[in-house]
Amino acid sequence: MIGRRNFIAALLAGSVVPHLSWADAGSPAILGAAREESGGYALFGIAEDGGDCFRIPLPARGHAAAAHPTAPEAVAFARSPGRFAVVLNCVTGEVLARLVAPEGRHFYGHGTFIADGDILCTSENDFETGQGRIGLWSRSQGWRRVGENPTHGVGPHEIKHLPGDILIAANGGYRNHPDRPGVKLDVPEMRPNLAYVSPDGELLEKVELNEELRLNSIRHIALGRDGLVAFGMQWQGDPALGMPLMGLHRRGEATVLDRMPVYEAMAMRGYVGSIAFDAERRQIAISSPRGGRVQVFDETGRHLRAIEREDVCGIAPADRGFFLSDGLGGLMRAGEALHPLAKHRGRAWDHHLVPVMA
Amino acid sequence: MRLLALALASLTAFAPMPVMAGVTEAIREHILPAVEEFSAATADLAETAADDCTAEALRPSYRQAFDAWMGLSHLSFGPLETDGRALAIEFWPDPRGMVARTVEGMTADADPVVDDPESFPEVSVAGRGLMALERLLYDDALSAYGAGDYNCRYAVAISADLSRMAGEVLADWREHAELMRTAGAEGNARYMSENEASQVLYTALLTTIEFDADQRLGRPMGTFDRPRPTRAETWRSNRPLRNVTLSLKALRGLALTMSDDPIPATEAAFDTALVTAEALGDPLLAGVETPQGRLKVEILQQQIRAIGDAIEAEIGDGLGLSAGFNSRDGD
Repeated sequence: MIGRRNFIAALLAGSVVPHLSWADAGSPAILGAAREESGGYALFGIAEDGGDCFRIPLPARGHAAAAHPTAPEAVAFARSPGRFAVVLNCVTGEVLARLVAPEGRHFYGHGTFIADGDILCTSENDFETGQGRIGLWSRSQGWRRVGENPTHGVGPHEIKHLPGDILIAANGGYRNHPDRPGVKLDVPEMRPNLAYVSPDGELLEKVELNEELRLNSIRHIALGRDGLVAFGMQWQGDPALGMPLMGLHRRGEATVLDRMPVYEAMAMRGYVGSIAFDAERRQIAISSPRGGRVQVFDETGRHLRAIEREDVCGIAPADRGFFLSDGLGGLMRAGEALHPLAKHRGRAWDHHLVPVMA
Repeated sequence: MRLLALALASLTAFAPMPVMAGVTEAIREHILPAVEEFSAATADLAETAADDCTAEALRPSYRQAFDAWMGLSHLSFGPLETDGRALAIEFWPDPRGMVARTVEGMTADADPVVDDPESFPEVSVAGRGLMALERLLYDDALSAYGAGDYNCRYAVAISADLSRMAGEVLADWREHAELMRTAGAEGNARYMSENEASQVLYTALLTTIEFDADQRLGRPMGTFDRPRPTRAETWRSNRPLRNVTLSLKALRGLALTMSDDPIPATEAAFDTALVTAEALGDPLLAGVETPQGRLKVEILQQQIRAIGDAIEAEIGDGLGLSAGFNSRDGD
């Protein structure tokens, strides 16, 4: 808040040109959406120590946000299957643009910036055909939609990009329809994949798991060192089977699945809500709000430890560990031990924490 | 454990904080007595086994130990969740048949680990605990062993291991109770605010209501076309319905300690389900195989779910608690 006030004061004094950076928004380390005690929703910029850098009201419950790599701008997505997203100026709180999914498309709630921050990519569903789409929106052209590419799968959820603007889409495998929120369509036929897609939409590599893991919906992605991609899954079968829920892949190499003790696998209840590497990119954490658990692995998929925390979901890289957030308003840093950072009464952190300038 | 001890040491430096309604009562009247009883029942099981480990001699103690387990198995946080203890005590549900595979593997190989109490805790959780012991005591192919046979020594090892775990759970619960009582105090990283201690109890309550309906009843119900009575919990020892009843009674006890205000709708919902369960008169839930019998179990299932609704309306709203902002929201 102080950052914002100082900025406005400076602006009024005519001492700055309006070329903003994340420092002007209070240098947040992460962004997170939350429900507040009033019942309303807001997007927060959160400092390294857990304090609020800014708060911008949101029209409805959010899912994830996409942070612009340099400008203090965030795109907040509605929950899937939503058709709206808002681009926010995180210094002034002003809405820079409202993105509306084109006819026949809905957003899946995640996005990423490519082309040095000029193009926003959004994960979308062509809900008549069920084919996944990456929507392309140009920031320099007033957030106009400038095209779309296939995700080469059904039900894309999180998308990220590698150097060279190669997009990675987690194609979850099942469909949704905006008329039936919360309903998963075609689960028995699902065939999820992780797709590497070139900037012009060409499929570069597709990763599918073995037949017996067909019901494991690949939904969230985190990026490690040297092109290592970690993905979190949601098992659509019996959760008591304790199936693997995290995979590691590097282009041209075989996929490695997690090796959790059976009791930790079962405690996750077949669900990963979020995934992240730590700041050093040597460890991976996955969260399950249903199991109230975070599991931490090394880069080879070896299980390191479990963290018990009620309704925990948001994870983001932190120095020597992870930021964690939960539906009870808790914000923590998890290294070897858990350190509370902030607890806001009545604030319920939503599914994802998004790193700024990652 | 060292971290916990440090956390406790630093907590005692602070004046006790006011804890949300019900937590102190739940610990004193519900949790600690149940944990103590389980510890006593498994100690008795281990003692009986050391004396006479034949199936016939062990069964009464087994039943009592399982009854006692139903008094705390819903406390699915803290001490029972450390290193997967809850599953090591009772490995269920088990859709892969891991208990059968592990127990049969142990007996087929006559794995000498059963004679080494130091190493036995390293056996897979599916080969230990109450479900593995149920196989040895109630499976016709396994239970006809004599004193001194491999299976007899295996039963001794499981019983001693259960008693050991129950003792650890008791010791840990005494420490954990202090963490809950000091919820929100400086340095309490486990319970960061006062209401978090009530929140875990509340979540355990609702989660187990759901577990009773969806797992304990839902698994044997299977689908209409394919009922699965042998997927019921502990059907070999004839206690699928008994577990549901004991679980509901334990949850009723917890619910009553949690609220300062009367909770008539919740009590009525518990009573309705308990009366229905008793009237079923079907300890194995074998009725799921006929349309009429299935309907009766389905009615019980609905009544159990209705308890959850009553709890949310009376206890949740009363204490300002809500379950699962994220856990109930997908994606």
